[in-house]
Amino acid sequence: MKTLMKLAMVTTALMTISSVVQAKETVVWWDFLGGGDGVRMKALIDEFNKENGDNIEIQATTLEWGTPFYTKAQTSAAVGEGPDVMTYHISRLPLGVSTNTLSEITADDLASVGLKAEDYAPANWQATQVDGKQYAIPFDIHSIILYYNKDKLKAAGLLGDDGLPKGLDGVDNFKAALQKLKDGGSQYGVSIHSAAGDSQWRIFYSLLNQQDGKFFADGKFLDGDNLDKAVKATQVVADWVKDGLAPSNTEYPASIALFTSGEAAMHINGVWEVPTFTDLAAKGQLGFEWGAVALPTFFDHPATWADSHSFVIPNNVGKDMTPEKRKAVMEVIAWMNKHSLAWAGAGHIPAYGPVRDSAEFKALQPNATYSVLADTAAFDPVSTLAGVASPVYDAAGNYMVPAINGEMDPQQAIEDLRDDLQAQVE
Amino acid sequence: MIKNRTAEVTAALILVAPFVLIYAVLFIYPTIQMVAMSFTNAPLIGEGEWIGLKNYTKMFADRRFQTSVINTFYFVLLTVVPNTLIGLGIAMMVNRLKGWQQSIILALFFLPYILPVSVVFRIWNWMFDMQFGVMQFPIEFLFGQRVPVFRTPALFLPAVAFVTIWWTCGFNILLFLAGLRSISPEMYEAASLDNAGRWKQFTRITWPLIWPVTALVLTIQLILQLKIFDQVYLFVQGGRADPSMVMVQYIYTTAFQKSQGGYGATIAVALFVIIIAMSVLQFTVLRARGEK
Repeated sequence: MKTLMKLAMVTTALMTISSVVQAKETVVWWDFLGGGDGVRMKALIDEFNKENGDNIEIQATTLEWGTPFYTKAQTSAAVGEGPDVMTYHISRLPLGVSTNTLSEITADDLASVGLKAEDYAPANWQATQVDGKQYAIPFDIHSIILYYNKDKLKAAGLLGDDGLPKGLDGVDNFKAALQKLKDGGSQYGVSIHSAAGDSQWRIFYSLLNQQDGKFFADGKFLDGDNLDKAVKATQVVADWVKDGLAPSNTEYPASIALFTSGEAAMHINGVWEVPTFTDLAAKGQLGFEWGAVALPTFFDHPATWADSHSFVIPNNVGKDMTPEKRKAVMEVIAWMNKHSLAWAGAGHIPAYGPVRDSAEFKALQPNATYSVLADTAAFDPVSTLAGVASPVYDAAGNYMVPAINGEMDPQQAIEDLRDDLQAQVE
Repeated sequence: MIKNRTAEVTAALILVAPFVLIYAVLFIYPTIQMVAMSFTNAPLIGEGEWIGLKNYTKMFADRRFQTSVINTFYFVLLTVVPNTLIGLGIAMMVNRLKGWQQSIILALFFLPYILPVSVVFRIWNWMFDMQFGVMQFPIEFLFGQRVPVFRTPALFLPAVAFVTIWWTCGFNILLFLAGLRSISPEMYEAASLDNAGRWKQFTRITWPLIWPVTALVLTIQLILQLKIFDQVYLFVQGGRADPSMVMVQYIYTTAFQKSQGGYGATIAVALFVIIIAMSVLQFTVLRARGEK
């Protein structure tokens, strides 16, 4: 009994001493990253904890992606129970700011860890601000790209000597190429996830921005000739489906399977599927050579829809963050940005310029090839109605999906979409 | 024996207190708050301003709200009575089996019920998949082309109703089986001695005696299906949500996605009233029918 007593006393004494000496900051971290993203992020967090464990420790929790995450972020911040740092889609920032969920990131915060606006693509940096105030620090840029089957493109004469596709620019050229691929024995020229609004929104928004169309400006959706541009953008995809060059009403996993099984010669999907094909190819299960490039230029100039995973600091009501904790959080964010090369393995383009310009990233293929899209990336319209899992995404499902699958006239569909969204502006 | 009335009342109060407390905190209080919130323009989190009946006038003119009410009733129509009748039919067939055969067949019918809704969704979404779904073979054979079942507004709710019946029927079978077992076999013996055929036996013995169970199943089903959300939400993801929108889904979209807590609460009040009205109505009708 006596020894036990002594032991307890010694332990207590030791604990008191160590807590005084270390003053270790614990950073509570929430993210919504599952699948391959989740695995890579966990590795990064482990690495951080190993390197900085004496001073800062990240305690990470992964939550459900989409509306559940953003609802929880909002409710927990409102009662001061939110984390110290969390991941956030920059397209979702306007809603977060309108509900007072996010804490402003000041110039001092940035300076304290040596992050600068010049280190990021201008459009990307711009998208992290709402009403001129900074609320997030981008971590990556993710977008949609064109995956292609080198063997099939070569057979159709669509592959250049550099191994990259050629002759795909322009609406008519692209469609002709699809027809060539179909004639060459592919069931579809390009496989797309045509059963859902989110994927169609990404293609649509790219095509709209290639014509300099504005989806939302000055409180108005698709004002003036933007409507015609939107109809044109929708018509492009509707024509592929109508002529059997792209599959109709196809679900996400099926759209990937059409490409991996060789039934479709090309595939439009997010950069996050790069690991899928890399892994299949490494295991020798793909059966063909594959590549990926930025989306072709269908209209006037290159432009691709993009979003960013970013880091934000929640505005925990009634729970002020100590300056030491805030510094620690900024350290975490800066460290993640500087180590985002590992994140690029998940297909994403590092937002942090020095990493994007590094020799290591340039050697990473096909990522380096499609990373040019970062310069012409078009981020979602700044509105509380837009962004991931937003009313705009719902509207894409309600109107664009039937339009591209031939169940609704594109003109009518886009007009209905505009009226629907406009009615939701309050 | 002399009873101490005061002591008894005190003991009773102490025993029911935990339940009353939990009921008040977790049900009564939020319900009152919800009704109060429906008169404000509150966001999802935080206070709003009092705007009187504005949410209600908005609701009655809201096309999406009307669609969601119609769809909810349509779904109830598609599931409640069919699910009950199919449950009864299968229970009567299972009841004729004996011993281990009955156990195995019963287990097979009950199996889907233990699956979580997300698994049910995955199974049937793949079964009906446009490119790889096994159900597309009979569909192509019958209609000459593949049909995107969960992307065709006219087919959407019937298809979800079908999946729902497949999923939840097992529980009804179990309830009916318990009811059927409580009917004494002597009644059927007596009836057959009096030359009553199978149909007569069903209408004169089985149906009246199983009626309390039928009423129970119908009531449970009605309340459950008025609150339909999970399946519709999962199957429609990414597609045309509006034409097949049901009430709880509309509440979710309004309150959680668009952060319009006040208006979401208003629709929730409407659903609350509808469920109470329907339950009372059904209970009265069923009791009247049972007493006849």
